[in-house]
Amino acid sequence: MKNILLLLLLSLTSLNAEYTKKVQLPHISFGIKIDKDFGVMQRNCQWCHSFGYVTNQGKQSREFWHNIVLKMRNVYKAPINLKDEVSATEYLFRNYGNGKLK
Amino acid sequence: MKRRDFFKTSIVASATLLGNSAFAGITEQPNDTQNILNISFPEKRPLITYSDRPPLLETPRDGFTTAITPNNEFFVRWHMPRIPTHTDIEDFSISVNGLVDNHIFVSLENLKNNYEQVELTAVLQCGGNSRSAFKPQTSGIQWGSGAMGCASWKGVRLKDILKKAGLKRGAKWITLNGSDTAAFNKTPNFARELELHEIKDDVIIAYEMNGEDLPFLNGYPVRLIIPGAYSDSWVKMLDNITVTSEYQEIFFMDVAYRIPDNECECETEDNPAPKSKPITTMNVKSIIGYPTRETLINVNSNVVLKGVAFDSGHGIKEVLISSDDGQTWEKSELQKELSLHSFREFRYRFRPKQKGSLTLMAKAINNLGEEQPFAHEIQWNHGGYKYNGIDSVTIEVV
Repeated sequence: MKNILLLLLLSLTSLNAEYTKKVQLPHISFGIKIDKDFGVMQRNCQWCHSFGYVTNQGKQSREFWHNIVLKMRNVYKAPINLKDEVSATEYLFRNYGNGKLK
Repeated sequence: MKRRDFFKTSIVASATLLGNSAFAGITEQPNDTQNILNISFPEKRPLITYSDRPPLLETPRDGFTTAITPNNEFFVRWHMPRIPTHTDIEDFSISVNGLVDNHIFVSLENLKNNYEQVELTAVLQCGGNSRSAFKPQTSGIQWGSGAMGCASWKGVRLKDILKKAGLKRGAKWITLNGSDTAAFNKTPNFARELELHEIKDDVIIAYEMNGEDLPFLNGYPVRLIIPGAYSDSWVKMLDNITVTSEYQEIFFMDVAYRIPDNECECETEDNPAPKSKPITTMNVKSIIGYPTRETLINVNSNVVLKGVAFDSGHGIKEVLISSDDGQTWEKSELQKELSLHSFREFRYRFRPKQKGSLTLMAKAINNLGEEQPFAHEIQWNHGGYKYNGIDSVTIEVV
């Protein structure tokens, strides 16, 4: 768990809801490893979900991570290009891998 | 539930081939060591937090000593990143369309005043609750045991609303969708489809939870309640109901939230099951809410263990407690049954005689005689669904 969640409270944003109730959702920064491909993660993953989803998967194989990246593109329609598909997979396996290819 | 099998075209290989073949990993107790974030979400106390966008919050173990889970401790699970917070409640309505005589819009006020009001108590549990128990680890949020809760829900029968709209000839499927949306237009909606015969009298559209408006994060203003079914069917912020004659393909029903369609509902990484089915109804399960992990208890003191048990609506017959790793079991005292679908509280009084670590286990048995297996007996499935192993808590007697 130790290298997983580096929680930093960034801000509390008011959503100016016309709700009958006041709604404020906290923004939480779920820390992930920063290396040369961090930008690939930033521009491809956070459209839909926080990095909490990434760090919660534990150490996984290269194939596991590749399938996750493919699922994000094929099922959830995230516009991940071929170059970023490779970089994201490598990033995930490098930082959250279990050393096994399959 | 009868739903089109996504893998219909695959070879109908014998499920028995999988049987009890060797498994790569041994299932363990779900993770019980998560931290509670010291930041609260709206209408919630600080909870175990896996993500803020979409929000994923888990109830800590100590939330399970009572049959009713307080709204501010109730778990939260959304799939889409955009959850509207701008609803002007005067303008909110549920659109009922498709194969109906009258396309109607049901406002919250309308719902409260023009229909018979129904109140029921039922457990809401994520199909992936306790997923962290599965080894090898599956993809998906690694929930501990707290992606569940029990509440009293008040609302209106879905049946009554469909009746008001009037079903046309050929109407067979009901698609229910909420107001949460994805970042990309092409991302599949998190909608659910029910076949007409599945819509029993206890399937309601609820606007109240434990006597209060639904909390924003639990689906305000209204959500679907399907007692006995896993929460992926309980659509939050329900705002659209479409009646069709044909089944519509929906990713979250056709691909996700499915388990192997064989007797053991199991498979291995190397031998994935060729056929799958929706997770649908819940199996018998229990959890100890007190004492929790590493609680310090004085030797020779009187202790009351407390917890909750439930199943898909057959009701709990008994909950047994073991303090010798499951070799011998003693009956706990069951508390009042609020409903067949609700948490059933159990209590067990004991006095630890010896200092040191003490492991307590709880095993529920339902009225069908189905009982929880040991954690290590739970067999693997690729989505990490439906874990219901015997719960175990180790305390320190000092």
